[in-house]
Amino acid sequence: MERNIVIPGDVVSDNVKMSGSGTYVHGDEVRASVYGLLNIGERYISVIPLAGKYIPHASDRVIGIITEVVYSNWIVDINSPYEGLLHISQYPRRIDSENMSRYLKVGDSILTMVASVDAGMKVELTLREQELRVLSNGRIVTINPTKMPRVIGRSGSMIRLLKSEIGCNMFVGQNGRIWINGCDDCVDLAIQTIRYIEDNAHRPGLTERVQAFLKAKEKTRYGKVHESRNDEE
Amino acid sequence: MGETPRPGRKVMQMSDDVMAEIHRDYLFNLVLKGERDDGRAFDEFRDISIETGVAGMAEGSALVTLGDTQILVGVKIQPGEPFPDTPDVGVIITNTELIPMASPEYEAGPPREGAIEIARVVDRGIRESKAIDLEKLCMVKGEKVWIIFIDIHVLNNGGNIIDAASIGSIAALLSTTLPAERYGLGEDSPLPVRDIPVAVTAIEFGGELLLDPSLEEGKLAGTVYTVITNSDGSISGMQKSGAEPLTIDQAMRVVDMAGTAAAKIREKFLEV
Amino acid sequence: MSEKPEHFIVDGKRLDGRSVDELRPIKIKLSPLDRADGSCYLEWGRNKIMAAVYGPRELHPRHRQNLTKAVVQYRYNMAAFSVDDRIRPGHSRRSIEISKVGRDAFEYVVFTKFFPKTAVDIFIEVLQADAGTRTAGINAASLALADAGIPMRGLVSACAVGKVDGEIVLDLMKEEDNFGEADVPIAMTAGGKITHLQMDGNLTRDEFYEALKLAKIGCDKVYKLQRQALIERYSKEYAENGGDATTRPEGDADE
Repeated sequence: MERNIVIPGDVVSDNVKMSGSGTYVHGDEVRASVYGLLNIGERYISVIPLAGKYIPHASDRVIGIITEVVYSNWIVDINSPYEGLLHISQYPRRIDSENMSRYLKVGDSILTMVASVDAGMKVELTLREQELRVLSNGRIVTINPTKMPRVIGRSGSMIRLLKSEIGCNMFVGQNGRIWINGCDDCVDLAIQTIRYIEDNAHRPGLTERVQAFLKAKEKTRYGKVHESRNDEE
Repeated sequence: MGETPRPGRKVMQMSDDVMAEIHRDYLFNLVLKGERDDGRAFDEFRDISIETGVAGMAEGSALVTLGDTQILVGVKIQPGEPFPDTPDVGVIITNTELIPMASPEYEAGPPREGAIEIARVVDRGIRESKAIDLEKLCMVKGEKVWIIFIDIHVLNNGGNIIDAASIGSIAALLSTTLPAERYGLGEDSPLPVRDIPVAVTAIEFGGELLLDPSLEEGKLAGTVYTVITNSDGSISGMQKSGAEPLTIDQAMRVVDMAGTAAAKIREKFLEV
Repeated sequence: MSEKPEHFIVDGKRLDGRSVDELRPIKIKLSPLDRADGSCYLEWGRNKIMAAVYGPRELHPRHRQNLTKAVVQYRYNMAAFSVDDRIRPGHSRRSIEISKVGRDAFEYVVFTKFFPKTAVDIFIEVLQADAGTRTAGINAASLALADAGIPMRGLVSACAVGKVDGEIVLDLMKEEDNFGEADVPIAMTAGGKITHLQMDGNLTRDEFYEALKLAKIGCDKVYKLQRQALIERYSKEYAENGGDATTRPEGDADE
């Protein structure tokens, strides 16, 4: 397993065409640029970092928090070194610029999408897409954005597992924020499970581990119900 | 060579920071051809002039020009207490002022990292070469020593301040008198100077090493590397700065170039 | 300050028993700080150094932002209690210079172009000083940058070489630093490119060349320890979390 953890500068391939994310080309070698797990795919060799910041890209779905209302824009914290801008015209319906705070005020959370990022890292957001909206209930947890692919799983397998096993609604923002809605117990369990995934993101057999984790939790939940019944007697 | 146009000069007058890409390319291509904008060889210094005794109230002073760069170094000396950890030697304090007069880039206020770095590198050369016999500057051990203040005043930044400051400092020290009479401590005497450290700075650009960078060349440099050598050719101080690295081979080449260039400067301007 | 010893090297051994090309013991702990994006605690002989990295993060004030790359900022600071005589807290001319060349030591390796307009902040706190704090700080900073997930060409490894009793030696201890004939702190990439170099004292050209070669050997040794610390960190966690350290990760993360 040790050969799977690489550090910046490690040579990971001698085929420069294989250079994927988290790597760079030096002469005729591919080298790791970040500290993380080596991921050898069919077409690319990449390094999955174990830490790092969310850097926005167009069409990323993210969860934002309004930090300021200025001119015709809302300034949105997207858990990144770069702030997002939501222009008044990107609100789902026509509103008057005088009344912007009535629709979205400082502290409000939104499920949003990155519409565009320019060379100067100006990040424009939109709410004019399906699924995107203002959040009025549920809870938001934040994890390290580099762990997000593990929470999502291969083509969404992990997130489907969580939704069906726990029975709650979830929206996973690529910026490390996850919105969860459902009964109190469900949300608590979902958050515990997400933390478990975050702590074990670098370990093998994650899906099986999560299944086992949920099974164990299920037992204690059931056990608690049982105990409380005994108390009543 | 003398016919070479200098399209960059006006740009540089406006701001030291902005340089058009095409001008950068022009300078780069010159270097590839083995040339510099002002016609110098890679290991050649710009013209140097030194005038001592220009600041009458100072115990020693020197006005140095190095190409467009003008620096005035003043030395003041007064009696004072030694540092507790070195009770039996005199004290050297070196300071650099990049005053707003010298460049549109400089602002008034306390010295910033650039000025501090220059002062500390110049200080390192003088201190480590043991050019000044600090033991002779102790009057009463632990109580009274001579304190030497070297103040480097940059009047015009035409590039390579560090070498001009180093040359100016040692030239000023060579012209310095210990003001004993003023303090009722005996007769005036020349400051005991026994070596002549000279800083020589190189930059790496286009794969070549260039000595005494002009202002423009300094802006292009990824690496600035200063080597201070003494009369016997030994090295007393070094400083590498800038974002680009240096190979061991390049470091040794600069050491050799610096030794040769410093010997020439010493012979021409600084022999006692 | 203690007295100058009569000899620094007796029968090939230095005052602390080391040979001329031997480093003092180095201990590394990764991520000791929770709030920082990356951190490292490093002991080197009796030096104790804490390094923290924040970023890339928004850079204020705005006029200091660079539209094409991240700005690397480096702050070297000595705790007031880190040396025998208390030092006044805050910046000194020495710490400002060390901070500047410390920043220069990392500009080449950090891929700043990936994060325009941001800052990558590196903070070094010297908690206990015993000669060689600037090189120890660079080594700790290098690891804290990796720990923060900052993209880099590679690690930077640093050590000092110097001259005592007329001999070139690796990694000066306090007495050698105070009373020796020369001190040359150097940092290099794994490929031997020099990103930091200072020198004071007195060396001939040939002695300096010898010093550079010894520094390369020293930096290589430091690099091995840095690399080992980063690799072992996760294998240790593997062992703690169920003992399946021999299992390979399946690499099934979606990219």
